[in-house]
Amino acid sequence: MGKYLVKRLAASLLTAFLASMLVFLLVRLVPGDVVAQMMGQAGGETAANALREFFGLDQPIYMQYLAWLMKVLQGDLGVSWTRGMPVTTMIGQAFLVTLEIGLLTLLVATIIGVPLGILAGIYEGRPLDTAIQSFNILGLAAPVFWVGLMLLVAVSSLFSWSPPLRYVPPTRSLGDNLAILALPILSLGLLQVAAYSQFVRQNVVSALHQEYVRTAIAKGVPVRIIFFKHILRNVLIPIITFMGLILIQILGGVVIIESLFALPGLGRLLLTAIETRDYPVLQGALLIVVVAAMVVNLLVDLAYRLIDPRVRVS
Amino acid sequence: MAQYQNVATPENGSRKEPHLQPLLLRMARREPGLLLGLVLLVFIFLVALFPGLFTQASPYAVDVNAAMMPPSAGHWFGTDDTGRDLFARVVYGTRITLAICGGSLLISAFFGGLLGLVSGFLGGWVDQALGRLVDVLLSFPPIILGVIITGVLGPATVNLILALSIVYVPVFFRIARAGTLSEKDKTYVEAARSIGISEPTILRRHVTRNVMPLILTQYMILFPLILQIQAALGFLGLGVQPPTPDWGAILEQGKDYILYAPWMSLFPGLAVLLAALSLMLVGRALQRRIDQR
Repeated sequence: MGKYLVKRLAASLLTAFLASMLVFLLVRLVPGDVVAQMMGQAGGETAANALREFFGLDQPIYMQYLAWLMKVLQGDLGVSWTRGMPVTTMIGQAFLVTLEIGLLTLLVATIIGVPLGILAGIYEGRPLDTAIQSFNILGLAAPVFWVGLMLLVAVSSLFSWSPPLRYVPPTRSLGDNLAILALPILSLGLLQVAAYSQFVRQNVVSALHQEYVRTAIAKGVPVRIIFFKHILRNVLIPIITFMGLILIQILGGVVIIESLFALPGLGRLLLTAIETRDYPVLQGALLIVVVAAMVVNLLVDLAYRLIDPRVRVS
Repeated sequence: MAQYQNVATPENGSRKEPHLQPLLLRMARREPGLLLGLVLLVFIFLVALFPGLFTQASPYAVDVNAAMMPPSAGHWFGTDDTGRDLFARVVYGTRITLAICGGSLLISAFFGGLLGLVSGFLGGWVDQALGRLVDVLLSFPPIILGVIITGVLGPATVNLILALSIVYVPVFFRIARAGTLSEKDKTYVEAARSIGISEPTILRRHVTRNVMPLILTQYMILFPLILQIQAALGFLGLGVQPPTPDWGAILEQGKDYILYAPWMSLFPGLAVLLAALSLMLVGRALQRRIDQR
């Protein structure tokens, strides 16, 4: 276990390092920097050059990268070029918003998606299964942001209610916070419910066709016991892996949902940073996204090994 | 011919020509999803190929007096903020949207597939290096990768295609590599090698041919996903720019009027949904076939 963990961590760190390099290069290979944007038409060459020197943009790229990397390793992501705030503070605030959305979506999706999948699997081939499967495929085919738009329309025309425009943190008012997050979570959740229930259904169906289940049925074991002991136990393990996948998907999905519902999360921070060419913020936000995805993967791997002894052996 | 008609052959009674009608009926019974998907897909392709058959209106004709009209007999999908017919825009957008998504995915299938084949076949340091690179690309959620590339390069159709092509290269790479690994140790490869066929020929003629079905299936599976990413990038203003009637671009335009003119968002989104749905249904059936093999 220890050896595996070290190997796995080393591989993740290397990938994160290469990803940060890729991001750094990509951002800088493109014409037009923050200075050009700040100066606009006004200002002369000297002023622009002075600004470039101030931001360190006059250095060769690899020097810029090394300087940035050294600071990152010390936990310093630099200062935003457009807002003058420490990037770590900005990302910290935004990350909390995204984390709340992500975890609540995961919760909602699990609570609805898993039972739906189990139902569909148990009633394989019957009308209920067909109905749930049709819902799933519709949920998977619908663009997330479009679902959000349609929910917005539906809610405002049915209940003449629309979510507050300004974000309220849960620490100030939990009720207002949830009112704001309800629609984003629902629209992100629909896709995940569909994905979940489809995945769980497949696992239930394949567990039902296992020989030990058939034997148990033949022996006359009560259905309830078969369900809890044989099916549910075998379905729970893949669900944990799937949770990780879903969480990473949500991480991607929030970019659009946050921009649609004007939520000050990581996704919107990323988009604004791209628009204003605020390199430190962009690099920092991307790094956090990549690291977050890696941590999720790592946790899933570890959980998997802890729960399923078969994985440990192989 | 007539003289043979009365000659009884054992197959005469039992052998049936595969007629279209029974085929469709059988499909409707066994795989209703596949049939629905195929019908939808054919319809969507017809719209993409011959938009003029479906609407007389122009997708570009501005009519300020008819701005933001709700759906009616004259304008089935209503009109947008400059009075353009939304039905015409969605219909003409089909070809643009599908071409961008399909084309980008073809590029990634080609490069991802090629690299995966070579990487799996050669092994060694090439495989190591490429595998690392792919890991790096995979560490970004697809949509975020799309947003960074289009965002940094600037909103233009070329950049959109570039971004969409890069997003799924890793997936094709992995599929092709895994397929190659499982093929390259098979007996027929050994046999080909033993009769002196060169390595590049084995890769090209034997391995590639057996990995192709995997890549094609993956193409069908990823197509609906890339449609959604394309629409999302368009919605963020990072995709095709107006006035081109791309579905994502139409959605972006409707965003500001969502509560006043919801039809501006409803119909292009529905188009994305239907296209994704039909592709998913067909892709799933294909995947089942491959799994059964």
